[in-house]
Amino acid sequence: MDEKYSNNVLSGGHLGMVEVPNSRLTRYIVLLVISKILKALGIFESYDILKVVHIVQFIFILKLGSAVILLVFQKPFSSGKVISKRQWIKLLKHSVFSCIISLLGFFGLTLCGPLRTLLLFEHSDVVVIAFLGVLFTSSGGGPSKTRGAAVFIIAVICLLLFDNDDLMAKMAEHPEGHHDSALTHFLYTAIAFLGVADHKGGVVLLVVSLCLKVGFHTVSRKLSVELGGAKRLYALDNLVSAVVLLPWVIVLSATTEVSTGLPTVSPQSKVESWSALLLPFAMIIFSVVILEFYVEAICNAKMEVQRCARYGAIALFSSALLLANFWTHPLTDQLRSMSKSPQESSTEHVLSGGVLVSAVFFMMSSSILSSPSKKGQKGTLVGYSPEGTPLYNFMGDALHHTSQSLPRFIKDSLKQILEEYDSRQIFYFLCLNLAFTFVELFYGVWTNSLGLISDGFHMLFDCSALVLGLFAALMTRWKATRIFSYGYGRVEILSGFINGLFLMVIAFFVFVESVTRLVDPPNINTDMLTPVSVGGLLVNLVGICAFSHAHSHGGKSCSGHDHGHSHHGHSHGDHGHGSHGHSHGGHGHSHSSGGGGMNANMRGVFLHILADTLGSIGVIISTILIRQFGWLIADPICSLFIATLIFLSVIPLLKDACEVLLLRIPPEHEKELNNALQKLEKIEGVLSYRDPHFWRHSANMIAGTIHLQIMSDVVEQRIIQQVTTILKDAGVNNLSVQVEKDAYFQHMSGLSTGFQDVLAMTQQMEYMKHLNDGTCIM
Amino acid sequence: MDSMLMSTSAALSPYHHNVADFYPRKLGSKPDVVPSGVTERKVGPLDKPDMVTVDVIEHDMPPMHKKKHDTYVLGTIHPFRKTHRSFPGKLLQEFRLVTSDRRSWRILLFGFLNLLCTACLLVWCSSTNSMALTAYTYLTIFDLFSLLTCLISSWVSMKKPSQVFSFGFDRLEVLAVFASTVLVQLGALFILKESVERFMEQPEVHTGRLLVGTFVALFFNLLTLMSVRNKPFACVSQAASSSWLQEHVADLSRSLCGMVPGLSGVLLPRMNPFVLINLAGALSLCVTYMLIEINDYNSVDTASAVAIALMTFGTMYPMSVYSGKVLLQTTPSHVIGQLDKLLREVSTLDGVLEVRNEHFWTLGFGSLAGSAHVRIRRDANEQLVLAHVTNRLLPLVSTLTVQIFKDDWTRPLLTGALSPSSAPPPGGTPEGYAGLPSLPPESERVTSTPSKPGSPPPEFSFDTPGRNAQPVLLPAAAHQRPYGAPTYGAAPLGLRVPGLGGGYGARLASSHDYRTLGGAVHHYRHYTPK
Repeated sequence: MDEKYSNNVLSGGHLGMVEVPNSRLTRYIVLLVISKILKALGIFESYDILKVVHIVQFIFILKLGSAVILLVFQKPFSSGKVISKRQWIKLLKHSVFSCIISLLGFFGLTLCGPLRTLLLFEHSDVVVIAFLGVLFTSSGGGPSKTRGAAVFIIAVICLLLFDNDDLMAKMAEHPEGHHDSALTHFLYTAIAFLGVADHKGGVVLLVVSLCLKVGFHTVSRKLSVELGGAKRLYALDNLVSAVVLLPWVIVLSATTEVSTGLPTVSPQSKVESWSALLLPFAMIIFSVVILEFYVEAICNAKMEVQRCARYGAIALFSSALLLANFWTHPLTDQLRSMSKSPQESSTEHVLSGGVLVSAVFFMMSSSILSSPSKKGQKGTLVGYSPEGTPLYNFMGDALHHTSQSLPRFIKDSLKQILEEYDSRQIFYFLCLNLAFTFVELFYGVWTNSLGLISDGFHMLFDCSALVLGLFAALMTRWKATRIFSYGYGRVEILSGFINGLFLMVIAFFVFVESVTRLVDPPNINTDMLTPVSVGGLLVNLVGICAFSHAHSHGGKSCSGHDHGHSHHGHSHGDHGHGSHGHSHGGHGHSHSSGGGGMNANMRGVFLHILADTLGSIGVIISTILIRQFGWLIADPICSLFIATLIFLSVIPLLKDACEVLLLRIPPEHEKELNNALQKLEKIEGVLSYRDPHFWRHSANMIAGTIHLQIMSDVVEQRIIQQVTTILKDAGVNNLSVQVEKDAYFQHMSGLSTGFQDVLAMTQQMEYMKHLNDGTCIM
Repeated sequence: MDSMLMSTSAALSPYHHNVADFYPRKLGSKPDVVPSGVTERKVGPLDKPDMVTVDVIEHDMPPMHKKKHDTYVLGTIHPFRKTHRSFPGKLLQEFRLVTSDRRSWRILLFGFLNLLCTACLLVWCSSTNSMALTAYTYLTIFDLFSLLTCLISSWVSMKKPSQVFSFGFDRLEVLAVFASTVLVQLGALFILKESVERFMEQPEVHTGRLLVGTFVALFFNLLTLMSVRNKPFACVSQAASSSWLQEHVADLSRSLCGMVPGLSGVLLPRMNPFVLINLAGALSLCVTYMLIEINDYNSVDTASAVAIALMTFGTMYPMSVYSGKVLLQTTPSHVIGQLDKLLREVSTLDGVLEVRNEHFWTLGFGSLAGSAHVRIRRDANEQLVLAHVTNRLLPLVSTLTVQIFKDDWTRPLLTGALSPSSAPPPGGTPEGYAGLPSLPPESERVTSTPSKPGSPPPEFSFDTPGRNAQPVLLPAAAHQRPYGAPTYGAAPLGLRVPGLGGGYGARLASSHDYRTLGGAVHHYRHYTPK
């Protein structure tokens, strides 16, 4: 056997669990396959029947027939415990739900046709739970499961996008009077409200009802235990559902009885004779409801659920494909009970390329998702057994994953955000921006204006920078950890850097766009642009005012572009700049992030808003120019100008952030540090220093390390104290001083084995000695 | 000089025999060494002709800070600023520096080719109106960035640390990697945004140049990847965690090897992420081309653009996380185990009480820098402990600063002879301590570690950065300590006050003595246990 690694390229082998060899289970597999084929047949049949029979009647007949058969087989009343009143109520709820789900399923069938329904709706619970587990929990079970989920999504998307079903075009133009009842009419209008074609609506409906079905099955497991077995529950459920549907059917038939006068529309006229339908109904009941249920139960008992799901899915999908291909074929006409007029058969749901691809993908995904997961399950340690072996609790955490309730999480993070000035400011502005964006988007959808929608998406794109800034402002306050030993203060510098890069990218795209427009100026429809840009300008002006108040240096003017430039000029200029904006690292002044405008994160956000404002102003100006003078070229020139401005205003931010990231000596402290180093040399007992490193770690931390060589007769701790004080005065607030004497180098040379090290150390000693001479002479 | 060398070589053998119990021996040898150094100092200039060779090497090594001193003394000359005046000129100069190396010519050549290819592709993108091809072109632009990074890395290797960039320019490499990965991700974000807009109104895609563009881009990308040895990106892609694309390919190929064991040599090693994303992007473009040609599904183009953008995200994200973490000065998680082991070793050294405020971070790719504060027993020899700590950590951490501190060092030991500082200095002590009056208030002076204004005093600063690792206190040291736990206010006050007159009182001016006392008292009030 070549089964050593795997027999399935996509699912990645079964190294984990040992499965029973197939040979022993052949009987059951064959049984399963046959039942699935019959089920596919039954679904195709019921699609035909549903064309003439009302959906509620259809389901009623289905439930009633299966209830009768199951009552005969299971004898739910004579055997087992007596059912209490509470359980009856539960059963009632259960059957109402099952009615709703089968209604949705069969309605999807009428919309999408049998093949697509089988592909979408008939997935085993295992597959769907694995899929949801990948999507919504972190521990999906390795890359293969993720792949399976991706394939599943692709298959659904294939059905949605690439399946140009011919029938659907026809059904989309159905007249309103075509609908049989209030229920279907309601569903149709609901789908029409979503703004998708009927068949796409059907796909969405089926996916939703699939999820409902799985959830329903999971919930009903408890009830089945309570009632004494799944089979008994099934029988009772069918009975009660039939009873629940009975009044509806009676009302329905009564109303149709009244409207027999209308010969063409009434459903009664569609059914030629109920007796002709008897055989197909019996067939459907047998194949779809009874046989499949029993075979599933047996197979689940005899082999694993996963394997059952795998074989079942493959059999079902391939037989559905085959049937879809041959259903309209003359050969199968004998099989079909319903005689069709030739016109009707031409409008069958055809087999398109998209459906083929998605069927293949569905098969792949169900085989991947139902394959046993290779990795061990993640269990929680419960305790230790008496023998000392650890005990784990393997609750499947696919659906039982409760980490933190969402409202509580939101509340906590909101509280954190509102605690500090920076994040609060960003958050309020983000809310304002988002509100404006969504108004714009909704209005765009409402008036069906593509320009508005795309502008809305552009705003969302910009909002991502704000989100980044907000997140950085939050992270800055996190406590230091083992990994982030200095704390998270540097995050905001990195975020400022990323925001700067972001603006560069935006400026680049605007530039490229405007260059292409300069070559070929397109005709712009200006009437929609003005209100939008004025709105955007107002929002951004609010932001600029708010943020420039946060930065003391920007407070003087709200027209921030000047500010950007002056800043630019300054940072290229000489030292005197330091005293202008940055609260100078003098004694009493600590370098707080709020006061100095030093916070790179806030600067990045501010520049972002500035760029947006410039964009709005540019749009307004160019609209005016185009309207007044008809200069179409004004628009690209304006955007060129804006791109250049953005680019120029970002440079200082990027430069400053780069300097911090490259561990440069903080420029505004450079002079003081130089003075401090000179002062260090003058400390009595200090011979020299080496490797002075000072760098800004975050907005309010300047770190430093220095090595000092001192005379051997000086107390080290005293020197450390003095050095620390001097450097603290110069602004360094996280310092490490290594104080070395002659003895250190001797020890080091003693300890180090390599010749090179000894050589280096002796050189170091020599150097010290010469310096000593210098100091002695002086 | 000769005697020094002799003494070190003499000291060499005992150190090798027993490193663990060096402490008493050290104390003994110390007084011998110091005077010899002192006497040597005076003879130094006379000896100079003898050590010409040493002198030459010596000039090689520390000229940097000698020069630095000059600039400090002269004050106004700032070499960095002077060159800053003409930015293009400086750039040109650096460029010339880079091009002086033959190897970088190759990079420049490929960069030029890449520029041509990118321009060509961009034109084709606008002519085909294909989003997927645009997304793929961004990968070519990324190759351009990576070539630029390569140039920067060769420039960095030639550049010495300057006065303002005291750590050197190794980080520029990291920054370049980070910036290029982030830029590509931002480009991918832009693609995503455009694709969302396109989903609403799908324009027609012309397939004429689509396949040609794909293959031209693929060819150039692979050529660049194969022929230019890109050190920084190779480092990052090896060190960063694998992207989801790599994981899936690894998973697939593992199962494939199950069927065809012969392929295991080709498939099982970790794939290069850049090659992988180039191949995957080309594949999805081919699928796009086929589907558009056969069925005229124009929206496949948008879908595959989204797919390429997502793959770009997946590939670049781990790398930008890795380089971003380097930029954030974090301890790389893969050395934490090793570091912990070393720190545990250090804290078991004789005399060491605890290690704290340890900050270890990566400087460039691979080189670690760090600093730590080591608290030692009051009677321990600082230089010896320093040497041992440095010796332990230096193999791992190349740029290391260890601050040794003692609690309550102003209080002299009862066994004063043990303290190295209690040996009477040769002379000039009063002046030496006279340097002190320029000091600020006592409260800051006495704390041996820098502390932030609002932070708790260092002795109790277990929640200051870097203190998550439990300081491993030496259990054996507890009974060796003469005073028990030296600080924490547990020591009775009466013990300290009489002791004060003993050690320094004789040498210090009385006013200064008072100051120290005040400082010490303050110190104690400060450190009352919570």
